[in-house]
Amino acid sequence: MFQSMGVHGPALSPLASLLLDVVLLGCAFWLLAKPTKRPIIDSLFLMSLVLSVSLLRVVMQPIPNVQPVTVAALLVGAQLGARRGAAFAVLVAMTSNFFIGDGWWTLFQAAGWASIAFAGSRLSLVTTSGLNLRRACVASLIAAFWFDLVVSFSILDGTISITEFITYLGHGLPFDFLHMAGNFTFVVWMGNWFSGLLEEEPTLDEIEFAVVNGHGIDG
Amino acid sequence: MFRRLMALLLISLLLVPAIIAQDTNSWNDSHSLAWEYDFETGYISTTPLFADEQIIVRTSGNSEPAVTAFDTNGKKTWQHLNPSSTSNDMSPLFHVQAGQGECGAWPEMVLVGWTNGLIEALKPSDGEVFWSIQTEVIGWGVTGQFALDGEFVVVPTRQGIGQYCLADGQQQWWTQTGLGWRNGVAVDNTGYFVGDEAGQLWHINRTGAATSHALQLGKIRHPPLLTNAGIILHTQQDSRGTIAVVHSSDGRVLQQFSTGLSPAIPSLRGDYVVTGDSSAIRLLLCTNECEIIDEVPFHTNGEIGWMDNGTILAPSNTPNSAWGLFTFDAYENLTFESLEVGIQGYGTAAPLQYLVGGTTFTAFGNDQSLLRVYSDLDLSESLSNNEFDWGVQGLIFAMFLLIGSSTVSLLNGKFDWFLRTSSLLFLIILLLIIPDLSMQWSQAFDEKFPATAPSEEWNEQWPDTWLGTQIVIFEFDGEEHTAGGFVGHDTVFSLTLTACDELGFELSSESTEIGVYVNSIAGVESNGWEFTVDGSKGIVSADQSIVESTSIIRWYLA
Repeated sequence: MFQSMGVHGPALSPLASLLLDVVLLGCAFWLLAKPTKRPIIDSLFLMSLVLSVSLLRVVMQPIPNVQPVTVAALLVGAQLGARRGAAFAVLVAMTSNFFIGDGWWTLFQAAGWASIAFAGSRLSLVTTSGLNLRRACVASLIAAFWFDLVVSFSILDGTISITEFITYLGHGLPFDFLHMAGNFTFVVWMGNWFSGLLEEEPTLDEIEFAVVNGHGIDG
Repeated sequence: MFRRLMALLLISLLLVPAIIAQDTNSWNDSHSLAWEYDFETGYISTTPLFADEQIIVRTSGNSEPAVTAFDTNGKKTWQHLNPSSTSNDMSPLFHVQAGQGECGAWPEMVLVGWTNGLIEALKPSDGEVFWSIQTEVIGWGVTGQFALDGEFVVVPTRQGIGQYCLADGQQQWWTQTGLGWRNGVAVDNTGYFVGDEAGQLWHINRTGAATSHALQLGKIRHPPLLTNAGIILHTQQDSRGTIAVVHSSDGRVLQQFSTGLSPAIPSLRGDYVVTGDSSAIRLLLCTNECEIIDEVPFHTNGEIGWMDNGTILAPSNTPNSAWGLFTFDAYENLTFESLEVGIQGYGTAAPLQYLVGGTTFTAFGNDQSLLRVYSDLDLSESLSNNEFDWGVQGLIFAMFLLIGSSTVSLLNGKFDWFLRTSSLLFLIILLLIIPDLSMQWSQAFDEKFPATAPSEEWNEQWPDTWLGTQIVIFEFDGEEHTAGGFVGHDTVFSLTLTACDELGFELSSESTEIGVYVNSIAGVESNGWEFTVDGSKGIVSADQSIVESTSIIRWYLA
């Protein structure tokens, strides 16, 4: 939104842009590497997820403030946990902004989606019977407002007063509602499917371990 | 019970297109394009004129301000240039029938007031200058509407009012008033009324003696309207407008109505007055006193045309310009229809309606320098002209499907599917209305919470003629490029375009769903352009940022 309106926040030099990218990438890899090393298949799955959602965001960019990434971050956080959710958010922000337009705002978008992924991991959106649709819907509505608020902080470059910032937020309210409507639609249409896609299937080793363990206890 | 109610509500949505179809686009369906002329540059800021079987149009704001005439088939017959008039000409062309008086005889004429102070009387047959006179220039020259008084024309100049013989243009007298802009004149049996930028209402008798009343209600930028209830003024303040009813003898303010920003030129027909501004068109009935009888949301800041058939036509002064057609019925309900005439962009000129061979023609022009003339159609012809738009019809079909699916899902208790289809329907509706919704919201928000901005400093090196006008500064390559002396712009974008014209800068922009995005100015692109209005950073797009009459805009690289 702010891009189209000509409000950019501070412009970054090439060196600052590089530094920002390095920091964001570093965060993503740190989040992925800890606390245990992931199998290569996990990483490939996450990478393909990042690319698909980034592509979706790029394709949907002409539609104002309908952001599939918000719901994706929420559900990735819910299914894969806070760390991988946050890493997913950072990588999607970087990858998609490579096509849409990179800048100071990338940091805030990454932070916004990462915080949503974190919230997703803590809200018990997924139960043993699958996605709790009602809870996911409410969370996606709040996430829309939260993300727009976090990203709006990117315009604070020292030249904008609090009153002007509040005015800026006020002007953006119709687009916040659009983001909410988009999120709601994504959740009710794709929520269950996407959540199921992310559900971690136990490996053969894990199944064997569980079976043997079970027999051991029975014995 | 709840499910049935919801289903009923959804089914009732199916009736909406049928209801709308009865009214929507009735004008567009019954009119067809007769001809058009592209001036390529310049603005059509005032209503065209029909005289001597010709359509006469003024264009300005470019290197060749002109008055151009066309025959009824759209063929250009003559053009009269005044390259010295470099600002936007806002004084409407003034038609005078042939006559005779003590000063002598005069033929049918079109009187033209220019921003370089020149007043010219042109013969509509060939554009020949019958007489011309030069009036004062203080930054600007003539911008207001003339008035006829017997054998004289009464002209509002930049800081006064003068009476001139129609026969030869001889000045009878000229009296100083306040600094004015778009300061049209009204005539009654006691003399003349004119307003000024300081909010004073002046009365000048027929010998030129002036008295004034300081109303303190803001700038008066239109000819006062004389009604039985008093003099109607629609004044302009920094953050709002006021419709005032003023006693014609002692200048007492009898009634006041608060309105939106940037008033248009109100129009009078009998006891009815129509006003416009950035928020609404209002219809007032003024008998012994005035009352607002209806209003509809609309954004108009220029002329409002009252057509012979009683309909009202006003240009929308917005980037996605469409003209508004307003009618009011016997119950005094104002109804609105949007006219799509194929010209996008800002506009302040009321359309012209004229009759040729029993057919009514309507001529539209705006800041896009394109003149389009539409003619009435008979119904059979209009039905055959209806084109089938696959995109629109497809979308409507999809929305029907969604409404139907939502209803069926709800009645069958399939709540998941009801949520899916209804949410998609709601999202589509929201996407369709978001451009208009966000614009209206921004305007309403600004009116409710006007910004208290730190003001940009006046530069002592700027010419005095720029005082009290709109100024634009461009910062790039370590230099400031400044243009000023502009009047009458309502948005940053409109003002910036004029400033770029003045400085010879090319401006590249693109229209997005949420406003205009400026790509480059004078070929400089960098990381984009940002702007401040009176020192306060622009937080909505340039075409949605409102400017005041004395605003200073600063563009700089992000």
